[in-house]
Amino acid sequence: MTDRSHHARGNSNATRRILGKAFQYVFIAIALFWTIAPIYWMLSTSLKTELEATRLDPSLVPENVTLDNYVRLFQGDLPFVSFFVNSVITCFLAAIVSVVIAVPAAYALSRRNFRTAEQTGYLVLVVRMFPMIVLLAPLYLVLMNTGLLDTMFGLILGYTTFGLPFAVWMLKGFIDAVPVEIEEAARVDGYPQWEILLKIIVPLIYPGVVTTGIFVLMEAWNNLIYPLTFITSIEKQSLPAALVLTFTGQFKTDWGGMMAASAITTLPLMIAFFAVQRSMVRGLTAGSVTGT
Amino acid sequence: MPALSKPFLHWMVLPTLLVLLAIIGYPVVSTVYLSFFGYNLLDFTPPEYLGLGNFKDMANDRIFWISLKNTLYYTGGTVLVSMLIGTAVALLLENLKGPVWSCVRALVVSPWAVPFVVVAFLFRFMYMQNGGIVNDILLDLGVIASPVSWLNRADISLGAIIVANIWATIPFFFLLVSSALSGIPDAVLESARVDRAGLWSTIFHIKLPFLRNPLVVGSLLMVISNFNDFAKVWVMTQGGPGYATTTLVVYVYRVAFERFEIGYASALGLIWLLLLLLVSVFYIRLLWNRQND
Repeated sequence: MTDRSHHARGNSNATRRILGKAFQYVFIAIALFWTIAPIYWMLSTSLKTELEATRLDPSLVPENVTLDNYVRLFQGDLPFVSFFVNSVITCFLAAIVSVVIAVPAAYALSRRNFRTAEQTGYLVLVVRMFPMIVLLAPLYLVLMNTGLLDTMFGLILGYTTFGLPFAVWMLKGFIDAVPVEIEEAARVDGYPQWEILLKIIVPLIYPGVVTTGIFVLMEAWNNLIYPLTFITSIEKQSLPAALVLTFTGQFKTDWGGMMAASAITTLPLMIAFFAVQRSMVRGLTAGSVTGT
Repeated sequence: MPALSKPFLHWMVLPTLLVLLAIIGYPVVSTVYLSFFGYNLLDFTPPEYLGLGNFKDMANDRIFWISLKNTLYYTGGTVLVSMLIGTAVALLLENLKGPVWSCVRALVVSPWAVPFVVVAFLFRFMYMQNGGIVNDILLDLGVIASPVSWLNRADISLGAIIVANIWATIPFFFLLVSSALSGIPDAVLESARVDRAGLWSTIFHIKLPFLRNPLVVGSLLMVISNFNDFAKVWVMTQGGPGYATTTLVVYVYRVAFERFEIGYASALGLIWLLLLLLVSVFYIRLLWNRQND
């Protein structure tokens, strides 16, 4: 190989590297634009005046920045604060109930300290994959017959149908990662199992417990079909369902107000999400990857 | 501990099993039961036994088949495209370290924290025919000649909803693949470097095999979640125009809570349950085969 051709190849390699880098950054820029643009549009519209928000030739940057849309939410005819509080209470309680019931079950399934552990594990896995709409009509009948229709308790029960199996499976994944040897000393000392669970395991998997709870909370916050069917009086309605129900009324053409309401609906989820983002994927998939 | 000395069940799983029995076991059994009956809540008459009548009706129900097809498009399209883009973006950002890139990662992930209802309203707003930003930009770029009514045209409305759904689903796959990539042992990547493996062969022969299991599990989770997705379709089109965007969830909701035909809705739900179990079994087998290799 001559000196010159060697030189030329080095050059083309460098060019290729630079081109590769350029492509990489261009694609990342496109991905970023695609992700951020809709969120930017929601926030910027929520800061526009009612007139500007629905203009035929939309302005990319709000011309007169105003918090009017947010103020109107809390001063309007609709009990927006109640919607918010309803959602917070029902979703939080659903998450707490799911996690509290799930922790001991996940522990027992993880340690396989009973004969049907494997079968029970599969049962929970299958239930976790259930299409929730299958439960909709019969659950509605159950709530109707027990007088729980249009109550927060009924809605929490609804959220628990997906929250509990999710929580069991996710927590099991976290407990699987804790070596059994850690419990040995306590077991030799004769501590009962529930005490080992509460004093050794739970403190160790605490971040996993919080992640699981927040995941259930997010799923509940996202759920539209249960509040839409189980809650019949508007003042008891959840935030997402209330947005859907009132859009035909107050918000019909008021996109500025709608986007302000959307931003408020998103905020709690954003905060919760970024608090646990890292352990979320691990928890979601860990249990399933390692099988039972 | 010898196997026989273990109890049949453990008291620690009892609360979970009892609750699941009450809120899932009972409803499922009554779904199966009701699917053999004609039962309309508005008639105020007791359920009437139809045998397989509901299922025969279903076979001839044009809307059922349309909604089944729409569900498959909606789920398949969303999961496939989101998986491809999410994986690509994760690979693009893999080796970029530092606070700026952490910030970029956080931004790429952020749509996951936007509630479904908000995603739906947001895209409905952006898709508006007059004054919608999507039409505004595409007109300025010269891609379209006149404003398009994205959600009111039967031929493109499902696609438009899928695009919104992809926006919300990419972050899941991005996070999943990112964390799987960081789990690849350094020694494996180092040996690829020593062998002077090119960029593409490193991705295809070394990284992708490590991503297989997480992607199988992740896509199963997303298939299930999209099968169940009601909020986006309902808020954006309510299943219209005509039945162009009616998915199974939307159809069952309409049958159960607009026509109040609980019997027929149960039959639809039962078929759907079997369909989803089939998908789950397929996935679980896929995982097992891999583990037994």
